[in-house]
Amino acid sequence: MWEFFVRSLDASTIFTLAALGELIGQRSGVLNVGIEGVMLFGATLGFIAAQSTGSYLLGFLVGIAIGGLLGLMHGFFSITLGVDQVVSGMGIWIMGFGLTTYIGNPYTGPLGMPRIPSILGLSPFFYLGIALVVITWFVLSKTSLGLRIRSVGENPSVAEVSGIDVAKTRYLCVTIGGMLMGLAGAVYSLDYNPVWNYNFLMGWGFIALALVFFSMWNPFILLSGSLLFGTLWQLSLNPQLVLPGVMSRYIWRMVPFAITLLVLLIMSTKWFRIKWGAAKPEALGQPYVKE
Amino acid sequence: MKPPEEGQVQKGPLKGIKRGETVLEARGITKRFPGVVANDQIYFEIKAGEIHAVLGENGAGKTTLMNILFGLYQPDEGEIFIGGKSVKFRSPLDAIDMGIGMVHQHRKLIPAHTVIENIILGHPSAGKILNINRAGDEINELCERYGFHVDLKAKVWQLSEGEKQVVEILKTLYRGAEVLILDEPTSALTPIETEKLLTSIEAMSKDELAIVPFITHKLPIVLAISDRVTVLRRGKVTARLDTKDATEKSLAMEMVGREVIFRIERTRVERGKPILQVENLSALSDKGVLALSGVSFSISEGEIFGIAGISGNGQRELVEVIAGLRNPEEGKVILDEIDITFSSSLERWQRGMGYIPCDRIDVGSIGDFSLVENTTMNYYFDDNYSRYGIVDYKKLRKLTEEIVSEYGVATPSPDTQAKTLSGGNLQKLILARVLSRKPRLVIADLPTQGLDVGATEFVRNKLVEAKKGKAGVLLISEDLDEILSLSDWVAPVYEGKLMDIIPGEKVKREIVGAMMAGLHLEGEET
Repeated sequence: MWEFFVRSLDASTIFTLAALGELIGQRSGVLNVGIEGVMLFGATLGFIAAQSTGSYLLGFLVGIAIGGLLGLMHGFFSITLGVDQVVSGMGIWIMGFGLTTYIGNPYTGPLGMPRIPSILGLSPFFYLGIALVVITWFVLSKTSLGLRIRSVGENPSVAEVSGIDVAKTRYLCVTIGGMLMGLAGAVYSLDYNPVWNYNFLMGWGFIALALVFFSMWNPFILLSGSLLFGTLWQLSLNPQLVLPGVMSRYIWRMVPFAITLLVLLIMSTKWFRIKWGAAKPEALGQPYVKE
Repeated sequence: MKPPEEGQVQKGPLKGIKRGETVLEARGITKRFPGVVANDQIYFEIKAGEIHAVLGENGAGKTTLMNILFGLYQPDEGEIFIGGKSVKFRSPLDAIDMGIGMVHQHRKLIPAHTVIENIILGHPSAGKILNINRAGDEINELCERYGFHVDLKAKVWQLSEGEKQVVEILKTLYRGAEVLILDEPTSALTPIETEKLLTSIEAMSKDELAIVPFITHKLPIVLAISDRVTVLRRGKVTARLDTKDATEKSLAMEMVGREVIFRIERTRVERGKPILQVENLSALSDKGVLALSGVSFSISEGEIFGIAGISGNGQRELVEVIAGLRNPEEGKVILDEIDITFSSSLERWQRGMGYIPCDRIDVGSIGDFSLVENTTMNYYFDDNYSRYGIVDYKKLRKLTEEIVSEYGVATPSPDTQAKTLSGGNLQKLILARVLSRKPRLVIADLPTQGLDVGATEFVRNKLVEAKKGKAGVLLISEDLDEILSLSDWVAPVYEGKLMDIIPGEKVKREIVGAMMAGLHLEGEET
């Protein structure tokens, strides 16, 4: 049971990191639906780097760097070129899926390194995740930079007249966001499940994307959402640990995705929007063209 | 982090300028756009402590001049002097740094943020970690000084139009503006809010601030507050005079270039049988709150029923329910004795309802479509113009040509895209396609909003013509003069309720004005 608890928190950590990256980008008005692709890249290249050098640190750094690079690329397409953000994001996902399958294939198999030591029984990244949630919240709501980010996400033309460089702010956010997604991927392949095989992520990125909408763009709700989905994910893998004999394991496997669908459905109803006044950034998904 | 200066006002180049000295001067400003000279050798100056209005119709070059003074456009010729020194603005930021503040007509505020967040956004002394309390104190000081009232912790979307404008003014003042450009400052305000704003403007001008209101048609406002007026027509300065030498008539003459009739005589048309009856109507707004409650009235043939009120008091919901675009919570809509409460919009148009929406660009027309196609939107369901689902474009092209010439829509051809038309011409087209169907009932939602004096006069006359043709007209307007001069019945609306229904000849301006703000004047029976 303790094992189940720890695994749930580990899974939650990955959701938290990835979704936090997406949240930062979205608050500045840039949607990145390619989060799964960025995570695949971070996981695969991080895995290869760690395995070939024997250094975990290098593995994580490569994961973060490739994530940042992909964020930057998404920024170039969606901010500078004004491409539809969904199209650019989908492109990143497909590219990530295809390329990492090709690059990672020769490395199929376990990482073969000693496990990362835990702190008080939990992965060190769990603590990092919580710290990042608090930092993100503080920056967004208490600092001048945060006000600038939120303004750019709400109404870029007002921000521009107030003397804010919209493109720069958005680039900053998508790049940091990409780094967090890349890190999340590396945490998956180096710590959570240190084995490379074909399509190992199986939709974690998309659940993280849904989590951002679930969180109503609030880092703390995002954290609790991550805990919920992390637990559900573990439950879907090992239902017999908690609820032995209830439903077939194939149905359990489907539960996180079904709930993701349900959450998105409820969130998109008029009833929900009116009741909760969802704080979706007004300019989310819209390219900003200077007048 | 650099410690912010004491007090809220930055040191600008205009510090130390005394009352009566020229703060801003524009000499020989010329700006050309493809096909037009928007500004032609314009000279303009303003002194500290002065209120200097710029007056002109749409298309007279006001917006261009405003954008040049605020650094959005660079002039092709001419120079701007601030405090006697020649300056060049590459962007609005340069203008802001030089002490020029702009209060836009289309609010430049972020609805999801609080008032304070909006005011300090982009402010150089905001600091890395926001000090909301200190900023709040400084802003409150400004409020007290000039008599503004606004809840700094409220979110901007919760505010009324008047309060939003106050926030914009505070933002420019907090940024250290010495010259305040106000774009149509009173256009969205209730009479009481207008009164308050004028008091505050006077207080600011006593503080050596220079204030430049740009105004299209509210001439009484110009006469009431300004010291001097510069009038623009077709890109040129046609007059510059002291306000005490001006009258409403003389200003209008200078603006339009001919005499303008301000009062349209209320023509009497014999009242026929009722066309539209609205009974106890209630409806929710998009936000899910009750926006319209228990509204009842009726309009008969040959009547104009005027609903007077500031936007956002349920007019939109009322119009949408009558036009079939929104379902009511309760109540009935009856057109020619037939209950149409839940009929489709199409059925309503076929039964003789005509709708002139307030948003002529997004709701009233499709910009990428030609004028013929836009006219078709009101005719595609008419058997004379469309058979078995096939639209007879030849016939419609002819019709469009006819109405374009009858209504004087200035356009090179009926195949031009609607988005190339000016606001006035687009409104004429929409009016034409609705009225040419000889509707039983015309819903005119803010029909003259944003139009210049000439086009306004035209639209009003056409509505009166429709009334003479035995149509009923539901007129929604923020402009009290428009309501009073046209309506046979006046119904002031406030927070979704009709305050009263008063026969046109018995209406008193002050009473309607007060009711629009939700007040019943004492001693008046309601």
